[in-house]
Amino acid sequence: MNEARFVELLGVYGADLVRWPEDDRGSAAAFLEIAPHRIKDIWESERSIDHLLALEKDGPASIALEAQILSTAPMRRSLIGRSPGRSLWSLPKWATGGALAASLALGFAVGYAGEPRRSAETDYASMLTISSSGGGSMYLTAMNDGGH
Amino acid sequence: MRDPDEDLVRRVGAGDRRAAAEIARRHLPRMVGLARRMLGDASEAEDVAQEVFLRVWKHAGAWKPGAAKFETWMHRVAMNLCLDRLRRVGRNAGDVPPDTADDRASATRALDERQRRERVRYALQKLPERQRAALVLCYYQDRTNIEAAEILGVSVDALESLLSRARRTLKSALAAERADLLSGLETG
Repeated sequence: MNEARFVELLGVYGADLVRWPEDDRGSAAAFLEIAPHRIKDIWESERSIDHLLALEKDGPASIALEAQILSTAPMRRSLIGRSPGRSLWSLPKWATGGALAASLALGFAVGYAGEPRRSAETDYASMLTISSSGGGSMYLTAMNDGGH
Repeated sequence: MRDPDEDLVRRVGAGDRRAAAEIARRHLPRMVGLARRMLGDASEAEDVAQEVFLRVWKHAGAWKPGAAKFETWMHRVAMNLCLDRLRRVGRNAGDVPPDTADDRASATRALDERQRRERVRYALQKLPERQRAALVLCYYQDRTNIEAAEILGVSVDALESLLSRARRTLKSALAAERADLLSGLETG
């Protein structure tokens, strides 16, 4: 590190050496220790600019904004109570088959009993249902997961 | 080095709401801060932050850890959205000066912190947008020079040139008020 390079980097990154390129920090700190007063004056001048910039602080993001953003986050298929990220199709085949068979039987029963009443669904409701209606046409509905 | 957001992004991609909340908690303040400093408008900054996260939700499932950190990608998205907005309306941000910016007579009196902050904010907003972008990324967003250059799509040399000019412009813009701005400010 020489004087010219130090002053050049000072004018780019400011007085806080933490902001300097990693490779230059050590040599810059060592140079500053032995630098002549005129260099230290330049360093102090840049430091005052850093202090001014630091006045422009960030506040926390608003809770309303965070809630709004989270309301747009997608949810995908999974079963209630399962660990996040696993899909139904990653279950063992026997479990998947069993779930499908049970859902199928339930679907037919409900279908013949009449129009199923939709319960209030939360964002976290999750269920795989197969139901029938009318002449026996099948509807496969994969509901959202909880992931929580 | 492993991307600290890698697991979270994977879980967001799988529809995990807790992961979405965590990634928002981790990055939302910085996204808002970046946009506010670039656009000079808190409401517009919130709009940009929402757009950034819509893109996060959209792309998280397909995210492949690799060359760039996820946070760097988010910064690039946010910065591009800001620059697009600035160019679309053909303005520089922060066109309204603080109440005493042109009142040189008042520059000798002590300013409270709010006034100082407003003056610095105004000086920042008057920077050309590329200079402001470089300064915001390196100073306020704590990006390395390599990351900031990548976000802006320029070489490190070009980034350093932008930073250098930004600091010179700021020094010049604040020169008349500098002593006053610094009065009472702890510099130790």
